[in-house]
Amino acid sequence: MAVAMGHPARPARRASQAVQAVAIGLALLWSLAPLYWMLATSFKTELEAARLAPTAWPHDLTFANYRGLFTGELPFPAFFLNTLITCLATAIVAVIIATPAAYALSRARFRLRGTIAYAMLVFRMLPLVVLLAPLYLLLLHAKLLDTHTGLVVGFVTFGLPFAVWMLKSFIDAVPIEIEEAARVDGYTRFQIVRKVVVPLILPGLLTTATFVFMEAWNNLIYPLTFVTTLDKQTLPAALVLTFTGQFKTDWGGMMAAATLTTLPLMIAFFAVQRSMVRGLTSGAVAGA
Amino acid sequence: MTNGVASRSARDAERVPWIDAMVLPSAAVLAMVVGYPVVYTLLLSAQDYNLLGTTPERFVGGGNYRKLIDDATFWLSLSNTAIYTFGSVAIAALLGLALALLTENVGGRRGRAVRALLLTPWAVPFVVVAFLFRYMYLQNGGVINALLLAAGIVERPISWLNVSSLALPAVMVTNVWTMTPFFFLLLAAALAAIPNEVIESARVDRARGASLIFSIKLPFLRNALLVSSLLMIIANFNDFAKIWAMTQGGPGYSTTTLVVYVYRQAFENFEIGYASAIGVVWLLLLLAFAVAYLRVLRMK
Repeated sequence: MAVAMGHPARPARRASQAVQAVAIGLALLWSLAPLYWMLATSFKTELEAARLAPTAWPHDLTFANYRGLFTGELPFPAFFLNTLITCLATAIVAVIIATPAAYALSRARFRLRGTIAYAMLVFRMLPLVVLLAPLYLLLLHAKLLDTHTGLVVGFVTFGLPFAVWMLKSFIDAVPIEIEEAARVDGYTRFQIVRKVVVPLILPGLLTTATFVFMEAWNNLIYPLTFVTTLDKQTLPAALVLTFTGQFKTDWGGMMAAATLTTLPLMIAFFAVQRSMVRGLTSGAVAGA
Repeated sequence: MTNGVASRSARDAERVPWIDAMVLPSAAVLAMVVGYPVVYTLLLSAQDYNLLGTTPERFVGGGNYRKLIDDATFWLSLSNTAIYTFGSVAIAALLGLALALLTENVGGRRGRAVRALLLTPWAVPFVVVAFLFRYMYLQNGGVINALLLAAGIVERPISWLNVSSLALPAVMVTNVWTMTPFFFLLLAAALAAIPNEVIESARVDRARGASLIFSIKLPFLRNALLVSSLLMIIANFNDFAKIWAMTQGGPGYSTTTLVVYVYRQAFENFEIGYASAIGVVWLLLLLAFAVAYLRVLRMK
């Protein structure tokens, strides 16, 4: 990592450092320019955002777009809450169901272990849309269509397999000796999971929950299909559904909504960014 | 745990139960909301089942599958899916690799800041990305056209998303933008995990620059690359949000991928049976692909 520091600065070295700095600058520009554009546009007036020659920054800085989200005709705060509630519920439910499974796949010896571990991966690969029609009919018969519960069921389906894999990798890293000590103290297996393992993998639980949360937040096809009342809709679906109406020419308002849709995800992501790498790398590698 | 069964053979077999009860909640949920739909899809795919149809659903056997073979739109969406998926994954993987190598020796607080900033696109919701790029791609007032005009690269603004030959590449660029950080993240982690001794001894052997990267580092990154591309390929086969919010599969069918096509068949034409048949074929393709991929992954 810190190799670059040790050598004396030769001209060739300095030149390559300059090239590196420029390349990093370009990479940052590519990554951040669209986000800047979103933010800048969200502070422009409707007229300025629609100009034929776009302005590089808001000349006529306004907060009207954000205010409009809360006072406009569309129940934007409701969309926000719907998304937040369903995604949080999904993350919590998925992690609760996945933890015992991840523990068993990590620790216990049983004959179907390899098969189940593999099946979890295969589930992950199933195209969402293939499950869509039967899942729709299932929710229809269970009278869960157009409810948040139904939506959470859909989201959990999608998040669960990977949650098991990620959690397993975190549990794998817990030394077994700690559990043996607890066993000597007379803890049952369930108590061991709850009182010994869970506190130790708390960062892992949080990371996994965040990952599931992000996936649910990104999911468009489920809310679009399973929720029919606009008031119950999630943000991404609401953006798609209303774009043709309210936001058609109002790019400023659109970008304000987009910014607020991004914020929770950004916060969640950066809170767990570091352990995310570990969960993804080890959780992703196949073979129990 | 369970010890009711009398064992005849090895003592091990007696102690190893078939299943652990702790897996059951997960297994039950997945069986209900995944297993059941998959079986149901198979059944539906053999029926002429229209949700709006006046005639009740009837069994048509392989009828839907025969229809599929002559359906030009199906083949087009299959090839669009392949181009979209493999094209954008390959480009994003290369870009991510380049970024990981580029920032490898940037340490300290500056390094952390650069890495965090390079990751931000990944934390932007897909639908937001789609609308943002749609706005930037606008023919009249889009910033991309404005920049290209100012730089003299184009003479008149291009309607990126409304020209069939340009729409798919334009959506792919958007896709690459969101996906590159993921590759960057995993590959940077894999790079950092290369043992120092390996790099040191390579340096002693006078491996520098390109040869250090290609003969020493890349072999270490092989698995990280394979795993991350597998994850992204699967995610992209399933990608609906970006395409739907940007083009809804148009103009014509130029950006219609399998997801979009199945969605349209099932929820716009309500041809549940036919949509299921497409789903089954697709499922088989995906499974074949996944098996092949896992083989490669296990090979050393």
